[in-house]
Amino acid sequence: MSTPANSTAAPAGKALTIGLIGLAVTALAALLAPEKHGVALSYLVGVSYWTAIAIGMLLMILIHHITDASWSVVIRRQWEHGLAAFKWLFVLFLPLLILAWIKPGFVWPWMDKTYVLHGHGTVGTDILYLKKEGFLNIYTFTIMTLVFFAAWVWLSARLRKASFTQDSDGDVQWTYKNRFNSAIGLPIAALTLTFAAIYWIKSLEYHWFSTMYGVWFFANCARGALCGGVLIMVWLLNRGDYKGIINTNHFHSIGMLMLAFTVFWAYVTFSQYFLIWNANVPEETFWYNLRELNHDGSTNQWWYVGLVILFGHFVVPFCALLSYRFKVTPHIIRRIAYWTLAIILIDLCYNILPALKDEHGDSLPFLSLNLLWVLTSVIGVGGVCIWAYLKSFPTTKLIPIRDPRVGESLTHHE
Amino acid sequence: MAAPSYGLIATFETAPEIYHAAEQVRDAGYKNWDVIAPCPLHGLDKAMGLKRSIVPRISLAGGLTGFCTGMSLIWWTGASDYKLIVGGKPLFSPMFAFPVSYELTILFTAFATIIGMFVVNGLPRHYHPVLKYDQIKRGMDDAFFIVIEARDPRFNLANTTALLAKAGGKSIKELEA
Repeated sequence: MSTPANSTAAPAGKALTIGLIGLAVTALAALLAPEKHGVALSYLVGVSYWTAIAIGMLLMILIHHITDASWSVVIRRQWEHGLAAFKWLFVLFLPLLILAWIKPGFVWPWMDKTYVLHGHGTVGTDILYLKKEGFLNIYTFTIMTLVFFAAWVWLSARLRKASFTQDSDGDVQWTYKNRFNSAIGLPIAALTLTFAAIYWIKSLEYHWFSTMYGVWFFANCARGALCGGVLIMVWLLNRGDYKGIINTNHFHSIGMLMLAFTVFWAYVTFSQYFLIWNANVPEETFWYNLRELNHDGSTNQWWYVGLVILFGHFVVPFCALLSYRFKVTPHIIRRIAYWTLAIILIDLCYNILPALKDEHGDSLPFLSLNLLWVLTSVIGVGGVCIWAYLKSFPTTKLIPIRDPRVGESLTHHE
Repeated sequence: MAAPSYGLIATFETAPEIYHAAEQVRDAGYKNWDVIAPCPLHGLDKAMGLKRSIVPRISLAGGLTGFCTGMSLIWWTGASDYKLIVGGKPLFSPMFAFPVSYELTILFTAFATIIGMFVVNGLPRHYHPVLKYDQIKRGMDDAFFIVIEARDPRFNLANTTALLAKAGGKSIKELEA
């Protein structure tokens, strides 16, 4: 159960090196590539992907404390290490924030009032922008982004400190403190992740309306964190750290949560699509039209991406996770986790990249050089996040050994 | 014995005893037998060699039936039996049939699960031969029992009694059917 201080030093160094290479390639592409707009949006995909997973880990810890859960005590510590990524995610978001100030409208078109909209004037003369100007302007965007990261870093620091300190003094007051932190943290996390999804992703098409957007992002956050949790569990089990600590039922429980959030994601995503399809109002349908059709009525690549998401993000993991055997077999649930994490990335691409348009106002195709920049961004940001996790890993015990419910967690049963 | 026998019952005093006794009965290859315990014993299902319940499969069948019922209901009423255009939509689309289908998926899954559970566990049951055993109430308090039914193909009065005695069973009695 001990964690030698250097047990993660080598992989941490490797993760950081790979991360920095990914970031360097992305930066080079941003300077040299002919289609710089695509590089910027691909980088937004990379940053929001890992931020979503980190937010999900924050949510899992908050939900754990507020429900006084016992089974997840031994896994919670790994999510707490995951929270170490937030301050680095802030640093990695800064290039986008700086870009917003030096080249307004480059990533988020509404930041530039002279930006020419396809077919009808400029942003500055657009009634749909003018009505939303109090919410959508570069000052609120900047302040809100700073508030988001401040809230996440602050909450993470409080949760981590209480949990880590309990390891040494065993004081039950830290458990109560974290329950309090969760009570105030849950609404804060819910609001910040919703507004982050709106400002960073949804506002790329600021004409659009959807009240489901924050919930859609939340579902992906939760799924990302659960899949990340599974990968860490299997990794620590194979490495020997978790031997005798986690049993079949921990996998069963986390697998049931994965199934629940798969259904939840499908419910939310289908509701958004169905209500827009059924109402058939042009102010709303255009967002899906961009992702299905070209201006001449032909089907574009995003239509197929949508189908991949429908089947890959719901049908496949849903059917797989129905099985008890799949949920409790480490190498199978790990495969489901990898699969889901890959589709979350495609889901984010689906929501972000069609903002890139050609001269007819059609979305640029999915299969393009931008996928390469998505990959370098995800590897770049991911390398830094994994490095932050691995660097935090040896600073405490493997599990919260003096948590009042650790005994229940170690003997978790159906 | 002239009267037909239901089987044999043996008493065990502690959880570890019943656990190891169950393993011996399992390894002896008996199928029609059960353990009576006053509290849930984790791991006893493995010691008894029980497989996972088939109820999840019944649930799945119910869910699939519900989904297909919903889809065909909407298709048949709106696009086949009485063709009606609503809100300028196609006569049939899985899009608007989906809410109904998924509600019926849940409903039929719930029915299949509850009914399947009762069918599989045989409840409600108003009479069981062990109720005639005068010590059976201890099974709700401080004693554990193993009951091996006479209809088990391996049942043999002498051998089964010997097995239960070897497994540590006390006061081994024959039960009236």
